[in-house]
Amino acid sequence: MPKSTPSDTLTSELENRLDELFQEDGPPAEALTPRSANHKPLAELKKAVLSIDWEITSEAVESFLAQIRLLKEVYQTDKAAVVLLQILGSLGQYIKSNRSKAHSSTFSLLNSVFARLEEITNHPGMPELTKRKLLQAQITAYQQLREKVSQRRAAGAGRPPAAAAAASAPHSHRSTAAVVTAPMLAQAIAELKDYIHSEMEALRRLVKSGPSQ
Amino acid sequence: MAFVNLKNKLIQVKIVYYGPGRGGKTTNLEYINRRFANRIQSEMVTVKTHGDRTLFFDFLPFDIGLVNGFQIKIQLYTVPGQVKYDATRRLVDGMTMRRENNIESLRNLQENLASYKKNLRTLPWVLQYNKMDLKQQGIAMMPIETLEQDLNQEFHRPFFPASALEGINVAATLKKIISLTVESIRKEFR
Repeated sequence: MPKSTPSDTLTSELENRLDELFQEDGPPAEALTPRSANHKPLAELKKAVLSIDWEITSEAVESFLAQIRLLKEVYQTDKAAVVLLQILGSLGQYIKSNRSKAHSSTFSLLNSVFARLEEITNHPGMPELTKRKLLQAQITAYQQLREKVSQRRAAGAGRPPAAAAAASAPHSHRSTAAVVTAPMLAQAIAELKDYIHSEMEALRRLVKSGPSQ
Repeated sequence: MAFVNLKNKLIQVKIVYYGPGRGGKTTNLEYINRRFANRIQSEMVTVKTHGDRTLFFDFLPFDIGLVNGFQIKIQLYTVPGQVKYDATRRLVDGMTMRRENNIESLRNLQENLASYKKNLRTLPWVLQYNKMDLKQQGIAMMPIETLEQDLNQEFHRPFFPASALEGINVAATLKKIISLTVESIRKEFR
């Protein structure tokens, strides 16, 4: 009997799973209970996240940042939610400044942080340890993104002056780029690292003080 | 565009329902969301965006679960439909209008794909001929053969006569496009 290839296995396993998921048995659609129509504070933020994922427009980013400001008030007593909202806010500001030039991982992190925020706020009884683990994973991912961004900036700065200037400062002239010296770059990177460090410290302090309902 | 993370064994696939306004794209998603709610455990979101034009799109994400060691996540989108088509035009314009709309829509899709250096010959896609339920109301329908000739003669893609309103072939269309897409990703990463 011929052996099945990995492709056959994937295809047949996928088809079985799809049949399971979408088999047309059970009660007719009309008989299903509609989803809860309760007011959901994150509904508008979700729309803003999806809008940004679809197309980065000024309106979508502004709406996203406005929702973050509003939700920080709503969840001010839930520290886990506040930390996640801070990360989202920081990502939003980064997207606002860089638009489509933002690092590609930004958008998957944006979705992932939002998903954790949704998870935490939808389960008020979630054990604190679980919350902390979820938070820690997002903070680590955020930190990794910051590092990737600073590496990319540093790599851009390490290119020949004219190329670096073209990539990072479209309005600057070659002559301006030529006067950027190595010590200036080192100082800029050090400042960036300090900024990341202080921001991470602030987040850690919030996490350590423990999430509350 | 698919997102594949080989380290975490995660495949995230975006599937877009594309077609002329009032073609039933949202109805497809609504049916899936309603009919399989207990299994997909997801929520459909309708987003209104204000850019230089007013557009709407729908979004329905769900997990298929673990398949061959990979976690597969699907995101269904409807492409923004223009709201200028009001409900009455569907019957007033009849077949001719819809035939032109379908052809125009496919041409428009080809142009959009070309700007991303993609094309309909290599991209996984299927055709759904929706609103077959109109036959029951005595409305003259364009034969499937004509639709196939207009739209699929060149591509020979799987096609599904369907009624999104009644759920006929909605799941079949979805299953086929998911299978084709995952298979296409597998080939790409092989």
